[in-house]
Amino acid sequence: MEMTSSDVWVMAHAAQISLALALCSIAFGTILAVLLTPLAFARLAIARFAYRLYVFVVRGTPVLLLALLTFYALASYWGRISPYAAGVVVLTIYLSALFAEIFRGGVLAIPNPLWDSSKSLGLSRRSIFWRVVTPLVARYSLPPYLNVCVMAVKASSVLSIISVWELTFASREIIERTLDVYRVLAVASVFYFIMCFAIDRVGRWMEGRLAAKGFAGEPA
Amino acid sequence: MGQYRAWVEAYGVAFLEAAGWTLAVAVASFICALIWGALLFFARLRGGIWTDRIVDGYVQLLRNIPVLLPIYLIYFGFPLAGLLWPAAICGGIALVLQNGAYISEIFRGAYKAIDRVQPDAARSLGLLPWMAFRKVTLPQILVHSIPALGNQAVLLLKDTSLLSAITVVELTMQAKVLTERTGAAYAPFVVAAIFYLAMVSVIELLARTAHRSVRWK
Repeated sequence: MEMTSSDVWVMAHAAQISLALALCSIAFGTILAVLLTPLAFARLAIARFAYRLYVFVVRGTPVLLLALLTFYALASYWGRISPYAAGVVVLTIYLSALFAEIFRGGVLAIPNPLWDSSKSLGLSRRSIFWRVVTPLVARYSLPPYLNVCVMAVKASSVLSIISVWELTFASREIIERTLDVYRVLAVASVFYFIMCFAIDRVGRWMEGRLAAKGFAGEPA
Repeated sequence: MGQYRAWVEAYGVAFLEAAGWTLAVAVASFICALIWGALLFFARLRGGIWTDRIVDGYVQLLRNIPVLLPIYLIYFGFPLAGLLWPAAICGGIALVLQNGAYISEIFRGAYKAIDRVQPDAARSLGLLPWMAFRKVTLPQILVHSIPALGNQAVLLLKDTSLLSAITVVELTMQAKVLTERTGAAYAPFVVAAIFYLAMVSVIELLARTAHRSVRWK
């Protein structure tokens, strides 16, 4: 049996859900990462340790395992929960660790003299944060940040295994019904490719623009 | 804690076996992916413009789709082509296809990082092009690649968990089976996570040691 054009529409709809899952998690993950990054530079050793432990555990565990753990753990406390909610929670946790590491790298990339010069200008801690650190970290972090956004779209496919109906789940459903393996997967690849490649291109374009203004890359 | 101890005592063997599968698939796939990635890299280095374009297309495609798609392609596609291979092999091939694409890019990045004058310098010393490549360029590619290859090995190890979607009983699948069979809340997943974290730590340690031991020679 062959897949029909209505199957393609179903997959297009599923692709939107994949994208929505990824975008939601990117938004929440970014917020969580912004809250986590200061821990990496905290005076308290325990805060730095907590940050490193969080990053180590989240980055060292497969997303699927995190997903199953979250899904089953949340379910054991609150009864059966929506797999979509669990999916966004998992991707948020996963992305927050990756984003936080990127932001941490961005802070470390700020040239040392800049800290001294902003202090010598008499800027308050708050102005240093908003007017020096934030704009620079945003610029240093942008290319790797968008790389992780590509990973977010790809990681959302893993959620199909905890019964989130998105592009990979829909593809598998159609494959099992029609056995039209090659065509279904080709269509799914095209959808994923468009989403990921678009983010990747935007990233490279921005990298080029920022480099031209002398912001990206290693500080002198 | 008592809960975990009872777990380890009752299901330790099942976990060790599953961890063995995870490790076996990961190691075999990584070795094959290194070879496949090296072949792709050499094809781009030596081949003409069309080879370059085809390999580039392959790399871009596999970098921008989730691993589950090649896994399903081989697991569902091979039987249609009359190849009834074990799920672990099918999944392994999919991991090799994708990680090979990433690894070829790692080699290419390392190659680009080498100073352009070096091949000329080597030739001016009387080395034949092939010897210049083997003695000057290749060692540097390998040394520069080690940290990125370590990262890739970690990613590959984590991706083996996706083979649970095609019935391979590796760590993640084993944890899921035990959770469902015993009615435990989530303890088996925590145990599986500890196994993964231990393996990841070993890989990172190996990569760091390897890099440090060859860096300045």
